Amino acid sequence: MSTLNPPLTSGFWERSRHSFVSMMKRDGFGLLALVVLGLVILGPLYSVVLWAFAERWKYPSLVPTQFGFSFWSETFSRADIVAALPFSIVLALTVTLLSAIICLPASYAFARMRFRGRQLLLLSFLATNAFPRFGLYVSIAVIFFRLNLIGTVPGVILIQLVNTLLLMIWIPTAAFQGVDRSLEEAALDVGASQLRVFIQITLPMVMPALSAAVLLTFVNTFYEAQGALIIGLPRVVTMPVLMYSLINSQLVTQYGAIVSFVLWLPSLLLLLVAQRLLRGGYLTAGFGV
Amino acid sequence: MATLDIVHLSKRFGSVTAVKDVGFTVNDSEFMCILGPSGCGKSTLLRMIAGFEELSAGDIQIDHESIAALPANKRPTAMVFQKYTLWPHMTVHDNIAFGLGLRQLSREVIERKVKESLALVGLSGYEARYPAQLSGGQQQRVALARAIVLEPKILLLDEPFSSLDAILRVRLREELKRIQRRLKITAIFVTHDQEEALSLADRIAVMSGGEIEQLDHPSTIYSNPQSLFVADFIGAMNLLKGVVQDGTVRVGEKQLAVPSGKVSNGEVTVALRPEDLVLVPDTQIGTVWKAKIDQVMDLGHYRKVLVDVPQLGDLKIFISKAVNLNEGETISLAPTRYLIYQNGNPPVEVNQQAQ
Repeated sequence: MSTLNPPLTSGFWERSRHSFVSMMKRDGFGLLALVVLGLVILGPLYSVVLWAFAERWKYPSLVPTQFGFSFWSETFSRADIVAALPFSIVLALTVTLLSAIICLPASYAFARMRFRGRQLLLLSFLATNAFPRFGLYVSIAVIFFRLNLIGTVPGVILIQLVNTLLLMIWIPTAAFQGVDRSLEEAALDVGASQLRVFIQITLPMVMPALSAAVLLTFVNTFYEAQGALIIGLPRVVTMPVLMYSLINSQLVTQYGAIVSFVLWLPSLLLLLVAQRLLRGGYLTAGFGV
Repeated sequence: MATLDIVHLSKRFGSVTAVKDVGFTVNDSEFMCILGPSGCGKSTLLRMIAGFEELSAGDIQIDHESIAALPANKRPTAMVFQKYTLWPHMTVHDNIAFGLGLRQLSREVIERKVKESLALVGLSGYEARYPAQLSGGQQQRVALARAIVLEPKILLLDEPFSSLDAILRVRLREELKRIQRRLKITAIFVTHDQEEALSLADRIAVMSGGEIEQLDHPSTIYSNPQSLFVADFIGAMNLLKGVVQDGTVRVGEKQLAVPSGKVSNGEVTVALRPEDLVLVPDTQIGTVWKAKIDQVMDLGHYRKVLVDVPQLGDLKIFISKAVNLNEGETISLAPTRYLIYQNGNPPVEVNQQAQ
């Protein structure tokens, strides 16, 4: 796969600078749009990162007047944060694992079997993404209340599982569909058993896409706040939920900024890995199911 | 090394019958081609032999023992597929060694066999490459090596060269023939390319509509096609409508001779190979067609000429390059050999030169 991607050489920056200049000459509006987009996307990030390391930052100064780490030790000595961070990680891992156990076999079935209602079922996983989530969660909360699931860990796991379905079904389904059947037949032909064909031929070929789906699911779940907020409070508090309350109710801006910053780093790394894994073209190849 | 018997074999997909009661024997070390247009059932037949399709009826025997009940991974056959089916996540070495490893051979034996098979297909030293680093032709050579390294009793090839360009196709064809001769392996090669079949096969089975139309040596298939379908499908052919009456067949304005008693009165089709229509002097008597040259196509060592004969339509002829012909010119043509088909019966051959 690595041969498909041109290596990043030192010429890359020169070339991109050259294209930037030529674009500026050719298309002033495009440049304007780029600048606005950059401000909109990077502006908040800039502000959050600066706030996380700011000891003192008063208007009208554009950068903090004093940098330091004193708020970091303060933040991480808070009992709620110390409890929520490991809990969030374990919760996200649990949800991802459960989702994989449920969705991966299902996606194999979607890719390989022809059954009645297959297309409709596959589309139904879009439903959770097609309507406002909040409304969905509120109506689910009503049901969960009767089932005594409000404020419980199983309740939060269930609501977060719903969120993972689309990604964990669609990406692997597309990947399994992308595996040419004759590659499996060729392995059968030389004498491999069905199980060996699956483990040694099919699985390695879908592995990048499956890993990407799992990574994205973990990241999404780790940051999921709406469901956890509605179903989990008051007893179950995840990191993103805590971040919301820190941002909303605390007078100290740095707490929220530091928690956001800490939450970004792993997601940024995992998303970069997932993006590399997905370059195999599985998404484009299979999303026209 | 092995013989293959196909016995009353049928395959039905729902209401569609893909293979209808087919039966033949492939002899030891024989190279058999199954030739037919797409959808004629030839690939289905091959896939049944490999074990990828279940039989609806009939039997498949290798060395007179039925393999019909065996799954694909237990059959002593090996297949080279139409598409490149090397496993993309394995190196050339691992692709070839995969099947050997399943047979619990020692490491040294596997290494030696991988080396030998790669040498056989002319790819020594390519062990560490990945399929994506090979050209299409190289990939099919590796696929061939992967199949023959297992020393199968029957080698199955499903249009293996159809996605390669013309020059490469011819070269790989010659190599395949050489390898098959050297290993004396029994092979079945499915193709829709008659040139491929004619040049490779010891015998050709021409299939149409799920049935075998004719099974013969290539030269016999060409010179004596037993049905109109085969006559039309193999090689270039002029098919002319005619009516038989009183010992002659009337084709257009002219009468052609018919062997007495072999054809009854009524409609027939006369099949004439382009090379069996020869240029004659304008003064010759007998059945001579005056034809106007429509198009002259230079095909290297000979020329294909399309001519127009009044009341008969277009005819194809092959003319030597030594003869000077111009479009628009009128020439005289005489048939030397033709076949007369009537009511689906085997044809009646008329050879003017022999008489």
